[in-house]
Amino acid sequence: MKKLLFLLLPLATVSLYAQEEEVEEKEQVRVYGGFESNAQWYLNDSGRGIDHPEKPLRSNSYLQANAQYSNFSAGLQIEAYEENALLNYNPGYEGVDVGTYYFDYKTEKIQLTAGYFYEQFGSGLLLRAWEDRALGINTALRGGRVIYTPTYNVKLTALYGQQRSGFDVSEGQIFGFDSDFNVSSLLKFEESDLSFGVSYVGRYEKVDIPDPVFDELTNAFAGKVNFIHNSFYVSAEYDYKQKDAVLDVQNRINNDFVKAGNAILLNFGYTGNGLGIDATVRRIENMSFLSEREPTFVDANSSSLNFNDKVLNFTPALTKQHHSNLANIYVYQAQGKVDFIGEPIMKAGETGGQIDIFYEIPKESALGGKYGTKIGLNASSWYNLPGNYRFAPADYDTDLFGVGEKYFSDYNVEIKKRVSETLITNFYYINQYYNTQWIQGGEIVKSNIVTGEAVYNFDTTKSIRVEAEHMWADADRKNWAGGTVELNLNDKYSFYVWDIYNYGNDDSSMQTHYYNVGGAYRHGAMRVGVNYGRQRGGLVCVGGVCRFVPESTGFSLSLSTAF
Amino acid sequence: MRNLLLLFLFITFSANAQKAMPSVTIKSVKNKTYNVKNSFKEKDKLYVFTFWATWCAPCISELDAIKEHYADWTKEMNMEVIAISIDDTRTQKRVKPLLNGKKWPYKVLLDTNQDLKRALSVVNPPYTVVVKNKKVVYVHNGYSQGAEIELYNKLKELK
Repeated sequence: MKKLLFLLLPLATVSLYAQEEEVEEKEQVRVYGGFESNAQWYLNDSGRGIDHPEKPLRSNSYLQANAQYSNFSAGLQIEAYEENALLNYNPGYEGVDVGTYYFDYKTEKIQLTAGYFYEQFGSGLLLRAWEDRALGINTALRGGRVIYTPTYNVKLTALYGQQRSGFDVSEGQIFGFDSDFNVSSLLKFEESDLSFGVSYVGRYEKVDIPDPVFDELTNAFAGKVNFIHNSFYVSAEYDYKQKDAVLDVQNRINNDFVKAGNAILLNFGYTGNGLGIDATVRRIENMSFLSEREPTFVDANSSSLNFNDKVLNFTPALTKQHHSNLANIYVYQAQGKVDFIGEPIMKAGETGGQIDIFYEIPKESALGGKYGTKIGLNASSWYNLPGNYRFAPADYDTDLFGVGEKYFSDYNVEIKKRVSETLITNFYYINQYYNTQWIQGGEIVKSNIVTGEAVYNFDTTKSIRVEAEHMWADADRKNWAGGTVELNLNDKYSFYVWDIYNYGNDDSSMQTHYYNVGGAYRHGAMRVGVNYGRQRGGLVCVGGVCRFVPESTGFSLSLSTAF
Repeated sequence: MRNLLLLFLFITFSANAQKAMPSVTIKSVKNKTYNVKNSFKEKDKLYVFTFWATWCAPCISELDAIKEHYADWTKEMNMEVIAISIDDTRTQKRVKPLLNGKKWPYKVLLDTNQDLKRALSVVNPPYTVVVKNKKVVYVHNGYSQGAEIELYNKLKELK
């Protein structure tokens, strides 16, 4: 700990110095960063039969500090998991240590980075090194990267690194190359924009099994194109991953189940003033891409894959991210990997699509009223890949077109209307189909969710938000009702209380209230939040990637600021 | 743990409030490249960088609310709103139809790799950074209905 203090001391002193020496238009040292801490005090909850973990007081804290002078910058992130990390985080996050550090040199045309860096190629289906603290993901690469942009129309990236896992890095060595060419000016386009690129990602990992029938270096390639013409746009990406061992039911690899993977992503849309339409079609087959082929640990019902550990690419669920509490009970996660659970549940990937329509009914029209009405429609549907599957010995052969077993669908509408200067109302209707049996085991759930929300302003800064929601579900835990009241006293203080109640559960002992009360104080870049309540067990999802959390009850404190 | 906190306070207080914008290059929804420091440097103009995401309800409410006043504000002072979408590839495709469906008049930049978000240590959207003469002059996080008026008052103070 002391060592860290000394390490950071020069940064802080430099900034003091910089302040004194401040001269207009003269280059100065810029010191910046942020601090975030999320602490939880787990309690016993006899109402739900939950005992708190042995160490009930836990926290995840992150201090990020950087210094920039002229073309140079450097920084580091210190992470503290004291006394332990919050429940169900990667066990690799333990104690206090330096999580990431980097040195960077950047000019108009070239950027050189050494140390840890974040990167994404194309849509991320081959490579995404990123951080999401709420999910406990930090897959930064440790190594070196060169980004060369000779003109605004060309961008070339080359990198080498090992992926972060806990406070260590994984065994696999990652090589990457990405390119982006914008040819609009070359073709003298005025109203259009055309760009394309190719990417390469290689993962080298020594293989222990004798006489492997696949290469130790796995090569993956992608091509992408993006075209915009006035109000229309279209983009496409194709990814191919060379044949490689597939994880079997026990999450182990062998010589008998070796397959190549691929992905097709197509997106197109129209956007005019007051109207936007967007459609995405995606088919992914065997696109699990890990920096180490086998998970670090595996037991009967979990593996380190559940902590999103050593995942090299990004296959988010292409569905709408709802903010209603009840619409987040049955959340879909993309089924991008080969997963043979047993007869007849054998998955090789997913195929499907999503469509979005946004429309604003103009002001002063019959339906628009004085303030206009905003409408959003969204629909998504996802299926297993069609084809022939064999459980033992494991094998499959998929078809390019068509669909297999349905995994999930979500059809929803959102209407937002300002009624008067002081009142805004929202209405949502959501219809979901969740194939629990194929996704995680259990009953298929069909549900309908209705939510109404109103925000009323007492004066310019004081407002109250009231939300009521209900879910009709035909299986699993059945019906739920929920409500939220949120009070914003001014731009600094807000308070809330919400509850969701599983009143429809067939088992009356499971008819639980999940209540939460809390508040937040905000000032400048700082935010302090407190909460007391019950956490529903299940998936916590951010950006289509999820983390499993157990049921818990307790206090939480979160603090974040920037400097 | 205590050391860490002290250290953090130390750095916070020693850091300069009026900080230069970081030099980060990102693309707009129209696929044009912008450097957030050097592309927004008109003398004495107020640039309001608003971090948002398609999945963030208060962000959308804030940008909707600013839109209602935008014509008046831009007439009254030399200012511009630049909406920085931090959507990742899951939701980024929804940015373009959403902003047209909502008739937003803003320039929208896509911070896909979250380089700018990291450089400014933004934890959660909505998050607003006001820049004048390449310096950060005001930071605000969160949005509650009506807060756009406070932003307006602040901008008038800063102009």
